[in-house]
Amino acid sequence: MKLAKTTALASALALCAGLADADSTVRFWYHFDNADNPINDLIAAFEEENPDITIEAENIPWNSYYDQLYTAIIGGNAPDAAMVKMFAQPRLVEMGALASIEDYLADWDGTDELQANLLDLTTGPDGTQYYLPVQYVVLYLYYRTDMFDELGLEVPTTCDEFREAANALTRDTDGDGQTDVYGFGFRGGKGGHDHWATFTLGREGVDLTDGITSDAGVAGTRFVADLFQEDGVFPPSAPNDGFQEIIGGFKAGRTAMTIHHIGSANGMVEALGDDVSAAPVPECGGGHWTAFGDESTAIFSSAEDKDAAWKWISFLSSEGHNTTFNEATGQLPVVKADSDAWSLHPQRFVTATVDSIPFANLLPNVPETSDFVNTVWPTNMQRVLTGEISPAEMNAAIAELFEG
Amino acid sequence: MTDTPTPAGAPPRRALARQILPYAMLSPAVLVTLAIVFFPMVQTAWMSLHDYVLFRPNDFDFVGLDNFRAALQDEVFWISLRHTIIWIGTTIPAQLLLGLVTALLLNQAFPWRPLARALIIIPWALPSVVIALMWAWIYDSNYGVANEFLLRLGLIQQAVPWLADPDTALASIILTLTWQGFPFFAVMILAGLQSIPQSYYEAAAIDGASTWRQFWHITLPGISGVMVTAVLLRMIWVANSFDVIFVMTGGGPGYATYTLPLYAFLKARTNLDFGYGSAIAVLFTALLMVLVLFYLRRTGKAVQ
Repeated sequence: MKLAKTTALASALALCAGLADADSTVRFWYHFDNADNPINDLIAAFEEENPDITIEAENIPWNSYYDQLYTAIIGGNAPDAAMVKMFAQPRLVEMGALASIEDYLADWDGTDELQANLLDLTTGPDGTQYYLPVQYVVLYLYYRTDMFDELGLEVPTTCDEFREAANALTRDTDGDGQTDVYGFGFRGGKGGHDHWATFTLGREGVDLTDGITSDAGVAGTRFVADLFQEDGVFPPSAPNDGFQEIIGGFKAGRTAMTIHHIGSANGMVEALGDDVSAAPVPECGGGHWTAFGDESTAIFSSAEDKDAAWKWISFLSSEGHNTTFNEATGQLPVVKADSDAWSLHPQRFVTATVDSIPFANLLPNVPETSDFVNTVWPTNMQRVLTGEISPAEMNAAIAELFEG
Repeated sequence: MTDTPTPAGAPPRRALARQILPYAMLSPAVLVTLAIVFFPMVQTAWMSLHDYVLFRPNDFDFVGLDNFRAALQDEVFWISLRHTIIWIGTTIPAQLLLGLVTALLLNQAFPWRPLARALIIIPWALPSVVIALMWAWIYDSNYGVANEFLLRLGLIQQAVPWLADPDTALASIILTLTWQGFPFFAVMILAGLQSIPQSYYEAAAIDGASTWRQFWHITLPGISGVMVTAVLLRMIWVANSFDVIFVMTGGGPGYATYTLPLYAFLKARTNLDFGYGSAIAVLFTALLMVLVLFYLRRTGKAVQ
C-alpha cells in the first residue's frame, strides 16, 4: 500500500516535471490605464505562435508600480519580465535584478528594425544592454487654438513669451469676478518634475547633477514660483495637481496650456476637436529641454526560462505587434516600419513630437533619480509654491540629494 | 466506577491534563499572534538598528541608535510629530462630542428612529479609500461642492483650494476623519445609554433634578465606562491610520499633512529606506504607548 502511494506520488511529480519542461510560463507585469486591456489579443497571438509558452500577464496600477516591483524582487517573487522605465534602471542594476539581453539582441533580426539611437538611450549605467524599448513619447506643449486666436496670441517659443501668453490667457470670461481660465495647468504633484525641468534644466550650465544651485538654476525654479504666486496663472490647486487634474482641467477649458505627451492627444481631440493643438515646449534661458518618456521591457535575473521571456518581450517590439501594443497605450511605436505606418494620432501631435526629439532628455542614469522623482521634487516644489521655502532652498535640497 | 484513585506518589494524570488543557486550547491563537504580530514587531525593532536600504539588499550594517539620532535631528520628523499631535488631539474630541450628541438624539423617541440609527452608521461602514476619494472631490477647488456651496452662501469670495493650501489641508482631512469616525462613538454611547435604568431618571425627576442635573449625575456616569473604552480604541486607530491622508494628499502640499505613521510608510515603501522607516515607527509606537498608559491611569482614577 505504502509502495503504491509512493509510486503514485513519484509519477505525479514526474508528470509535473515533464509538463514544466515542455511548457514554460512567463510572468509579465505591465501597466495600462486603458480599460479595454487589449494585451489579451497580443497574448493570444503570441501563444498561437509559441504553443509551449504560457503568458501570465498582470496589470499593476501605475501609482504603486515600482513600490510593488521592488518589494516583489526583494521578496523573491519578481516577475520574469516587466515593463520598465529608465529612471528605475540604476536601482534595478544595483539590486542585481536584471538579466543582460546583449546576446539575444545580437542574434535577433528585429534589432536593426528599431528606430535609431533608442538602444543607445537605454544602455545601462555599466554599459550593458538590459532594456528593450517598446514605446516612447516626448513631452510637448498643448494649447487651445481658439483662445490663442481670440486674443491674437502667437504660440510661445521662449519663457518670456510663455509668461506673457499665460498672463493674457488667465481671464474672467463670464464677468463674475472669478478667474475661469488659467494660462497654464501646472502639475505640482508627483510626476510634475518634467514641467519644472522644462523651465529650469534648459538654462545655461544647469543640470540635475551639476549647476542646479547656480543663479541660472535658481532662476528656473523662481520662474515657476513667480508664475503661481505673482502672476496667478496656474489654478490654485496646482501644488497637489497630478495627471488627472492637469488633463481634466485642460479638457474642461479651465486651463489654456499644459505640458504632456501624445498619449493624451486622442482624449483631448475627443473633448475639444480642432480647438487643441501642440507645439514644442518654450526655450528657457538660452537652452531647450523637454522630457523623453521612455518605456522598455526587461528580463529579470530570477526568471527561470529566460529564452521564453525574451521571445515574449521581443514579440512586443517586433513589426505589427508593436503597433497593437501602442494602440493600447496611446504612445508611439519603436519599430521603424510601424512608425512609418502610424495613423492612430492626428498628424499635428506626431509633428510636435518629432520636432521635440532633438532636445529631448532623460533624467540622470543614477540611483538617486528615483528619490528625486518620488519624494524630493514633489515635496520641495510644493513647499516653494506654497511659500514655505525659497527657490534657492529647493535647488539646494536637490543638489544635496545628487551630490550627497 | 472506572476511575480508580491514583496511588500516592504517582503523577495525578487527570489534574495534569486539566492544567495543560487551557494552554493547548489557547496555543493556536497565541502562535498565530506571535507569528503575525509579535515577530514583525521584533523584526521592525531589529531593522531600526541597521542601515538597511532595500535596493542594496546585501548591505545590512549594524549602526546602533544612529537612525534614532538622525530622526531626532530630522526637521520632517518634528513636523510630522506636531501634525500627529494635532491629528489625535482634535479628531478624537470632535468625534466624541459629535458622537455623544448623536447618541443622545437617537435615544429620544421619534418616528423613523430605527431608520435613522441604521443610516448614521454609513460613514463608519464605508471603506477609507472611498471616503478619501469622495471628500477629495468635495474639496476640489474647480468642481468641488464645498466651494460651490460656500460661494453661493457668500461666505467666501474665491474658490479655496482646501487640500492644496498648507493652512487648510490638515484641517480639511481632520474634518473628513471626524465625519468617518463619529458613528462609532454614537453607537457605543447609545448602547451605554440604553443600559441606564429608566427608574433612575424617574427618581431624579421626583427629587426635582433639572435635565442638566440628570445628564450630569446619571447619564454621564452611566456611560463613562463605555466612553473611556471607545476613546482608547479610537485613539489607537486614529493615531495609526494614514490611509485617508495618503489617498487625499499623499502628505502634501510639502509636508503639510505628514503624520508619523505616514512618514514611516513613505520612507520605507517609497524611498525603500527600511532602517530609517523602522526607527520612526518604533519611536512612534513608544510615544503612543506612553500616551495610552497616561490616559488609562488618569481615566482609571476618574471612573472609579
